[in-house]
Amino acid sequence: MPFTPMALAGLPLAADTPTVDPPTGVFGALADAASWFIGLFQAGGETFMGLVTGIIPTLIVLLTFVNALIRMIGPERIDKLGEVAARPGLQYYPVRYLLLPVLSVFFLTNPMAYTMGRFLPEKYKPAFYDSAVSFVHPITGIFPHANAGELFVYLGIAAGITTLGLNTSDLAVRYLIVGLVVIFIRGVLTEIITTRMLARRTTNEEVAA
Amino acid sequence: MSTTTETKSGGGMDGLNKVLVKIGTTVGGVVGTLYQAGRDTIDTVIRNILPFMAFIAVLIGIITKTGLGDWLAHVIEPLAGSLVGLLAISIFCALPVLSPVLGPGAVIAQVVGVLLGTRIGEGDIAPQYALPALFAIDPQVGCDFIPVGLALGEAEPETVEVGVPAVLISRLITGPLSVVIAYFASFGLYSSSN
Repeated sequence: MPFTPMALAGLPLAADTPTVDPPTGVFGALADAASWFIGLFQAGGETFMGLVTGIIPTLIVLLTFVNALIRMIGPERIDKLGEVAARPGLQYYPVRYLLLPVLSVFFLTNPMAYTMGRFLPEKYKPAFYDSAVSFVHPITGIFPHANAGELFVYLGIAAGITTLGLNTSDLAVRYLIVGLVVIFIRGVLTEIITTRMLARRTTNEEVAA
Repeated sequence: MSTTTETKSGGGMDGLNKVLVKIGTTVGGVVGTLYQAGRDTIDTVIRNILPFMAFIAVLIGIITKTGLGDWLAHVIEPLAGSLVGLLAISIFCALPVLSPVLGPGAVIAQVVGVLLGTRIGEGDIAPQYALPALFAIDPQVGCDFIPVGLALGEAEPETVEVGVPAVLISRLITGPLSVVIAYFASFGLYSSSN
C-alpha cells in the first residue's frame, strides 16, 4: 500500500524533467559537439550491430560445417592431383590452372593453398600461385571459409545489393564462375610470360659466360 | 564344461565389445571433428572477422556521419558507374608499382568494396555494375605476397626472381580483361528495367 502514493508523487516529477531548456552559449556548443562526436560512433555501432547479427550467425554455422567436412575428407588427398597437374601437355592446363587451384583454395584455404605448388616444376610455380591467389576472393561468395579474413571484398558490394532488396545468390554464383574463367586465363598467361622471361634469362647467362 | 561355456560367452562378448568400441570410436571421432571445427571457426571469427568488422564499422560511421560519403560518391560514381571507369580503376590497381602496395591483407580492396556497396545500396551506382566492380577493385590480389606464396610452394630463389615480375606484368593484362569478362557476364543480372 505505501507504494501507490510514492508512485503518484513521482509522476508529476517525471513529466517536469523534459521542460528543462536546452543548454545555450559555450556549454550549448560543447554539448552539440559532444553529441555530434558520439553520433559518429553510434552510427558505427549500428553498422557493427548489423554486420554481427546479419553475417556472423550463418557464417559460424557454415564455417563449422565446412571445416568439419574438410577434416573428415582429409586435405592430403589432393596431393595426388598435384602430381597429375605437374605433367606437360595441353590437356593438363585445365587441371593445373583450374582444378588444382580451386581444390587447393577450398581444402587448404588462404594462405596454405599455395603449398600445393611444391608438386609442380619450377616454371609452372608462378603461374599456379597467380591462379590460386586470384581465386581467394571469388570463392568467398559461396564458401567463406576459404578466406575468412578477407570477406568484405565480396560482402561489401553484396551488402549494397541486399539494401536494394535484391538476391545476392545470383551475384555470388556469377562471381565464382567469372573467377574460374579469370584464374584459368591468368594461369595460362603468366605461364607464357614466365617461360619467356626464363628463356631470356638463360640466353643472357650464356652470353655472359 | 563350465570353462568352455565361459570361453564361448567370452568370445561372444569380445565380438560385442569390438562393435561397441568401433561405434564409440567412430562417434567420438565425428563429435571430436565437429567440436574441433567449431573451435577453429570461433577462433577465426574472433581473430579475423570481428576485428575487421569493427574496423569497417568505425570507418563507415565516420564516413556517413561527416558527409565524407557524399563527397566520395561524387568521385567514385562516374568511375564505378561505367565500363570505362571500372577499366581505369583496374588498370590503376594493376600498375606493377602500385599493386604490391595496394595488396596487403586486401584491406584496400575490402574498404573500396564496402564503399561501393554503400553507393549501390543508395542507388548511385546501378546494381548490374556489382560484378565488374568486384573484379575492378581486385586485380592487385596477392601481389604483395608473391615471394612468400612462391616460397610456400618451395620455389627456388631464381623462380621467385622471375616469378614476381611475371605475375605483376600478367596482372596488367588480365586485370582489365577480367573486368571486361565480368561486364559481359553480368548481362541479365539485376536489370529490372527491361
